[in-house]
Amino acid sequence: MVKTGAATSRGAAETDVVVETRNLSKTYRDFWGRRKKVALKPLDLEIRRGEIFGLLGPNGSGKTTTMKLLLGLIFPTSGEAFVFGREATDVTKNERIGYLPEESYLYKFLDAEETLDFYGRLFDMPADERRRRAAALIEMVGLTRDRKRQLREYSKGMTRRIGVAQALINDPELVLLDEPTSGLDPIGTREMKDLIVDLKARGKTVIMCSHLLADVEDVCDRIAVLHQGELKELGRVDDLLRVTGVTQIRANGLSAAAQDEIRSVLARHGAADVEIGNPRTTLEDLFLEVVRDSQARPGRRARASDRETG
Amino acid sequence: MVLEEEIPRFAAWIGPAVIRYLFAGGLVALFAAAIAWCVQAVLHGPLAAGDRVYRGILAGFADLAGMSPRRVWALARLAVQESLRRNVLVVLAVFAVLLLFAGWFLDPGSVNPGKLYLGFILGASNLLVCCVTLLLAVFSLPADMKSRAIQTVTTKPVRTSEIVLGRILGFAGVGTALVALMGLAGWAFVVRSVAHSHDVAADDMVEVTDESGAVTGFTGRTSLDRGHRHRVTLDANGQGVAETGQGHRHSITRVGEGTKATYDVGPADGLLEARRPLRGSLRFLDRDGRPSTKGISVGAEWSYRQYIEGGTPAAAIWTFTGVTPEAFSDGLPLEMIVRVFRTHKGRIEEGIHGTVQLRNPATNLRSEAFPIVAKEFTIDTLLVPRRLGTVLADGEVKEIDLFTDLIADGQVEVWLQCLEPGQYYGVAQADFYLRAGEGSFAFNYAKSCLGIWFAMLVVTALGVMFSTFLAGPVALLAALSVVLIGQFREFIARLFESQVTGDATIVPGGGPIESLYRIATQTSITLELDPTPAVQAMKAFDTVLLAPMRLAAGIFPSLSALGTGTFVAEGFEIPFDLLAAHAAETAGFVLAFLIAGAFFLKAREVAS
Repeated sequence: MVKTGAATSRGAAETDVVVETRNLSKTYRDFWGRRKKVALKPLDLEIRRGEIFGLLGPNGSGKTTTMKLLLGLIFPTSGEAFVFGREATDVTKNERIGYLPEESYLYKFLDAEETLDFYGRLFDMPADERRRRAAALIEMVGLTRDRKRQLREYSKGMTRRIGVAQALINDPELVLLDEPTSGLDPIGTREMKDLIVDLKARGKTVIMCSHLLADVEDVCDRIAVLHQGELKELGRVDDLLRVTGVTQIRANGLSAAAQDEIRSVLARHGAADVEIGNPRTTLEDLFLEVVRDSQARPGRRARASDRETG
Repeated sequence: MVLEEEIPRFAAWIGPAVIRYLFAGGLVALFAAAIAWCVQAVLHGPLAAGDRVYRGILAGFADLAGMSPRRVWALARLAVQESLRRNVLVVLAVFAVLLLFAGWFLDPGSVNPGKLYLGFILGASNLLVCCVTLLLAVFSLPADMKSRAIQTVTTKPVRTSEIVLGRILGFAGVGTALVALMGLAGWAFVVRSVAHSHDVAADDMVEVTDESGAVTGFTGRTSLDRGHRHRVTLDANGQGVAETGQGHRHSITRVGEGTKATYDVGPADGLLEARRPLRGSLRFLDRDGRPSTKGISVGAEWSYRQYIEGGTPAAAIWTFTGVTPEAFSDGLPLEMIVRVFRTHKGRIEEGIHGTVQLRNPATNLRSEAFPIVAKEFTIDTLLVPRRLGTVLADGEVKEIDLFTDLIADGQVEVWLQCLEPGQYYGVAQADFYLRAGEGSFAFNYAKSCLGIWFAMLVVTALGVMFSTFLAGPVALLAALSVVLIGQFREFIARLFESQVTGDATIVPGGGPIESLYRIATQTSITLELDPTPAVQAMKAFDTVLLAPMRLAAGIFPSLSALGTGTFVAEGFEIPFDLLAAHAAETAGFVLAFLIAGAFFLKAREVAS
């Protein structure tokens, strides 16, 4: 009863924070209760309404575990996870959630229409609404011509698209995407990223985990980098990728001779569009740096000062 | 037919049954909660464990209360689609092959072909349907877990109770279709298989004349068809029947005269029927005429039938109540199954002679004795007329009225006595009954299909429950174990009683370990083992092993007990009281398995 009350009070203050974890951890044990693997060390996280949040990390870093914990597919060993102010194990929260798993785990003997109709029923949607939503989503993901084919006959890209459609059948407020561009060709990848940005534009909150760093860099507002079950980095993508302490000057129209004395004569030579600021690294460089740092100093959070000088 | 326990009135049965159900369910729930607390206490400490168990139970019941029919329907439809994808309808082809084999190999000339065919068809349908739905049920959820399709379901607002109920309903829907199709096919097969007629040739019939030479009737026999023929007895008008044989008879009419006479033989009558019996309570008189609750044991291991000695005052007495002129306007149609135990061969071809008498329990007035000849393995019939005689003290026979003189407040006693010294009649309570009416065979057959449906429903729910926390093959084994224990629940109860009381006469041979020892040492089960410390330890270990089995046997379902095929095969109407009790039992088991399955699935990490 106490927990219910807590959840209710959290629900009242949910206007901004969509997902919150407190000391959330997960340890897998064997049949005898012996510790097998620490998949996630205590994690504190807040994800706000309308942002695109990326979970990054190498294989086994705990990002999928985090997502499963948020979805209530597995139970935390300790700590708490709240989605829309409700406990993650509370199925009623799922009414506002859409989930695209890594491999689009769908029923292969259904066709696209049956699939969306089935998942629509699970949201207790009336028949008219189900039909309308299914038709719109099938068109949106470009499967109109293949809507009567069983999913077993679909290519990986098509399966991914119907997976996206089922994740959006309930017009969710929070969308969790596990490797959303996996298996998609470049056009499909572009469409998926456009879709994610479009979801944000429509006020949805998106949490995605991906190995494709360029994709994350393109669409995410904030990211969390996990390694060996531990949070190593958390922040806005722009902030994280900015290399502070180093000045970068960019200029157009400079002659070759001017480059030698650029710092002293820049203004005198009248270069146009002078830009002075901090250089920006790539997410891939940042990611590799964090992983290397984590391996060198396990159990410690990556230090911003290290990166500043590096 | 054999009816070891009296069928109670549903209204009287349901109250105590619900109390027993709630008590057993409560005990199981407490036991499960204690186990869950122990596991959680090891992982998280005792206080957190209590909190988790409490919250789990609350959430579980909230899930049960928050079920949506639309979601359940969606999941049920999915289960049906999955079954069709797995080519479940192939089982109909298997059933068709079984029907072919039945047509080839079942002997239409057997003692009662109707019983043989019905027993086979209902048994085969029951087995096939239960096997198919059990296989579907145990492998479905584990397959979803393996393919991870369950993750896209459980991340929707779906309650675990909906997943379990949807699957039960879906597979039960498939089972229902199979029961209906097999039932229809089986019914057509049985009706067509037993339908037959005979020819009666004029040469096979002879006139029966009295001393004056006047024709009083005709006698002869029918042609040999389907492995049997009948004796024919006609009256002087040429009307009569082919006598009962192979569980049926035919009406026969003589048409024409002399050598040009022909005979119209009617269809088999009495093969597929639904007798509505009025059963009484049975007591005995021993060989000295003293009241007794039991007859004599003739050494048969099965003590269902008790025996009375011939040529002595020993009698088996049935008391019938509710015997009214409205219900039996033509007299009392008494039907009897009398077994015989011979201590000497006697006239083996004739059967054993005895008498049946009616007695007014209030006035002690008795009717004259009706002679009978016990024919084993058939149902003997005797129509006690409205007007009959009673023998006065001086030996004179006085006419009396059945309902006025022999029946008091709807009660009448029927006395059975064996006349031949050294021979015995064996009877059970259900062996004598008044044929109170006739039900529809087709409707009775449909009711027996309902019995198959009950068993299918229980098996399906059981399979789904185990599949919520076990892998497919393990769930199958677990479900089969439960079915097996349920099937032998009475034996296990008696075995446990024998073990605890040390009374080897209840079940000789001891528990599993002792039995194993006896097999290994080739020791007879009737031989008492020396009470050495090793034997004592073995018996104690057996008791420990049997205790949980006894508990399990008390709550597990017995599928054979839900079946009512015997009634149909034996030609008796299935009582509604029995059907209602079976329906209630089925609902109870399905509900219990649904709740258990929902809790198991809720406690499980579907993505670990």
